[in-house]
Amino acid sequence: MINSNVNALGIIFPNSYDNWVPELVTERSMASIPFAGRYRMVDFILSSMVNCGIDNISLPVRKNYHSLMDHLGSGREWDLTRKNGGLNIVPPFAEKGVKVYDGRVEALASILTFLKSQKEKYVVMADANIAVNFDFKALINAHVASGADVTVVYAEQEVPAAMMAAPTESKEMYYTLDLDGSKVTRIRINTKDEGIRNVGMNISIIDRELLIDLISVAYVHGYIYFERDVLAHQLDKLNVQAYKFEGYFARICDMKSYFNENMKLLDDANLDGLFASNPVYTKIRDDNPTRYIAGAKAKNIMAADGCVIEGDVENSILFRGVKVGKGAKVKNCVLMQDTVIEDGAVVEYVITDKKVTITAGKEVKGTDSYQVFVAKNKTV
Amino acid sequence: MAKEMIAMLLAGGQGSRLYALTQKLAKPAVPFGGKYRIIDFPLSNCVNSGIDTVGILTQYQPLVLNEYIGNGQPWDLDRLYGGVHVLPPYQQASGSDWYKGTANAIYQNISFIERYNPQYVIILSGDQICKQDYSDFLRFHKEKGAEFSVAVMEVPWDEASRFGLMVADENDKITEFQEKPKNPKSNLASMGIYIFNWDILRKYLIEDEEDPNSENDFGNNIIPNLLRDGRNMYAYHFDGYWKDVGTISSLWEANMEVLDPEHSGINLFDDNWKIFSRNSGMTGHRISADAVVENSMITDGCRISGEVKHSILYAGVQVEAGAVVEDAVVMGGTVIKAGAVVKHCIVAENAVIGENAVVGAMPTETEKGVATVGPGVYIGEGAKIGPNAMVYNNVKGGEVQ
Repeated sequence: MINSNVNALGIIFPNSYDNWVPELVTERSMASIPFAGRYRMVDFILSSMVNCGIDNISLPVRKNYHSLMDHLGSGREWDLTRKNGGLNIVPPFAEKGVKVYDGRVEALASILTFLKSQKEKYVVMADANIAVNFDFKALINAHVASGADVTVVYAEQEVPAAMMAAPTESKEMYYTLDLDGSKVTRIRINTKDEGIRNVGMNISIIDRELLIDLISVAYVHGYIYFERDVLAHQLDKLNVQAYKFEGYFARICDMKSYFNENMKLLDDANLDGLFASNPVYTKIRDDNPTRYIAGAKAKNIMAADGCVIEGDVENSILFRGVKVGKGAKVKNCVLMQDTVIEDGAVVEYVITDKKVTITAGKEVKGTDSYQVFVAKNKTV
Repeated sequence: MAKEMIAMLLAGGQGSRLYALTQKLAKPAVPFGGKYRIIDFPLSNCVNSGIDTVGILTQYQPLVLNEYIGNGQPWDLDRLYGGVHVLPPYQQASGSDWYKGTANAIYQNISFIERYNPQYVIILSGDQICKQDYSDFLRFHKEKGAEFSVAVMEVPWDEASRFGLMVADENDKITEFQEKPKNPKSNLASMGIYIFNWDILRKYLIEDEEDPNSENDFGNNIIPNLLRDGRNMYAYHFDGYWKDVGTISSLWEANMEVLDPEHSGINLFDDNWKIFSRNSGMTGHRISADAVVENSMITDGCRISGEVKHSILYAGVQVEAGAVVEDAVVMGGTVIKAGAVVKHCIVAENAVIGENAVVGAMPTETEKGVATVGPGVYIGEGAKIGPNAMVYNNVKGGEVQ
């Protein structure tokens, strides 16, 4: 690929871990959950791929994908409106034999014909529940240098409590890696072990031909999950290498982490960690700049364009087009786009979904450990 | 397929009175209102009025403008048939010429217009801040059975002699045109926005070009010639917000008026008439715990730790702790270092105001100047820039200008 300086195509699984945040995905997928003031979760991994020259990216969607399609459109904002490659959203039932999938094996099986006809040597895969400015070029280089069959990305951290607490019947799995040097010797599934672990980030790279072979075999065996059913059993046959990621990332694994990861961006070091290295693209809304009217007070906030602020706002994340009326008080909140806090209303520890209205004088309060969530289009 | 009306946007103006701001870019490319450039206004007006074909006539310093317009996608003007086209002067078999005047610029692009075979052509100016519905203007033009219409604004009689004035009867039919007269007979000032029937415009452009004594200018030549021939000419009254931001003080003032949409008449917060622009793509702005922000507009990418009052901050401006910004227009990417004081001024893009430097001053009875710092200028630590200064070279620490 002379024009794209990397020889890889990308696959993003937009519905992975939907079950961890049921409130947020009633009308959307994990990939289209609003995050960090003006983005959707998918923007981060998608922009990371684009910024590394990957210009052939597929998203096999499972369900609730209307908001994602609306967000991505033709892929123009990510420079993915290409004649060759570009953005490729694969809905279920698009082809004979393509059904609603459960795990990566089934998802990949559904695009096997597509994979076979591509030219790129490598395939990079990722979920959308992690917001990260990821250097795929470095991953590809490490993969090529090590001669691995598969390279998987991990971070050294404690397994987030929310992941451990997730009900097993949710079908969502997480993986930790046992390593010998950088070689993966064992993949543990949904471990409850405490302490620092090598927690998989579900970002991986594999030779495209090998992926096709593995998926073809796995699919006929009725396997569902790539890591659990394919990689974990073949660590003796396949050279699976681990790639440690040491940068900043935000992982969404329940409502609390959604709130916390937004709030963490009020620390400039974290904000720079997520945004400073490469631009993150998103859908353009053509909002005007945010207006602070006389009498407004703002302390320690991040606000996107299009807001009109007349009241007091503190320790909060305001998405595009949020209105805070006269005498209203907003503290420790995440207000998604077009939320209206009317005059005199008081909100604390509240997460509002899109187009929520808190009417004049109302008081809505959550706590540090449990935030009140107001669903999309609702009026309090 | 013919287009009913296409737009020709005159964007070659140097904007020489904005000097420090227009050294490297044409006036229509000057940033405005936090995240726009002046040309976003006529372009957005076109799109919001249903005009999908726009020729942009450039001449002076077109690089920034060319790059900014690109394929026209931010204004939804990337069209298969029509869309936005940047039209610089070009070489022809018979020789090459700069655009000699506004009429000559259109004359040289007759073949561009003919590709669309429009019934009407609207001539727009690329250096005005104005939200105007051109489809209503066209409706007026058609209703009157006009061959030429001009958008006019009522101006105060004592200022009338500064403008090109249209004298019109009770049916809005134009009977006389006065260019900056000593004794005005009318207070209807031309906004420099015209609708022509294309066949009439074409005829007069060709005749004008053949006249060796002509200045090839709409105001000085084409309009007087139309009047001479008794053409059907009408004045379309516009009473919305309109500002020619030709000087530093008018540019500053127009920016300040954006902060007060309730009283000033310019409202950028209207979802029914959005002004489109090429977006910075930066993340939301940050206001830190110790910052003070009052009555201001802040754009994506800003980081505010100091004090910002009654100011407009464009994308990616940084105001460090202890810095004070008041009554100021601060354009994209500029950094205002700790302890600096920036008041009643325009600071252009990517400038750096060093620690404890002072730029501008609040107006007094005798001194009302708007200080100006040009793009990319570095103002050294502790330097002082007076309220009337216009700075376009770096200023050393401690220096006073």
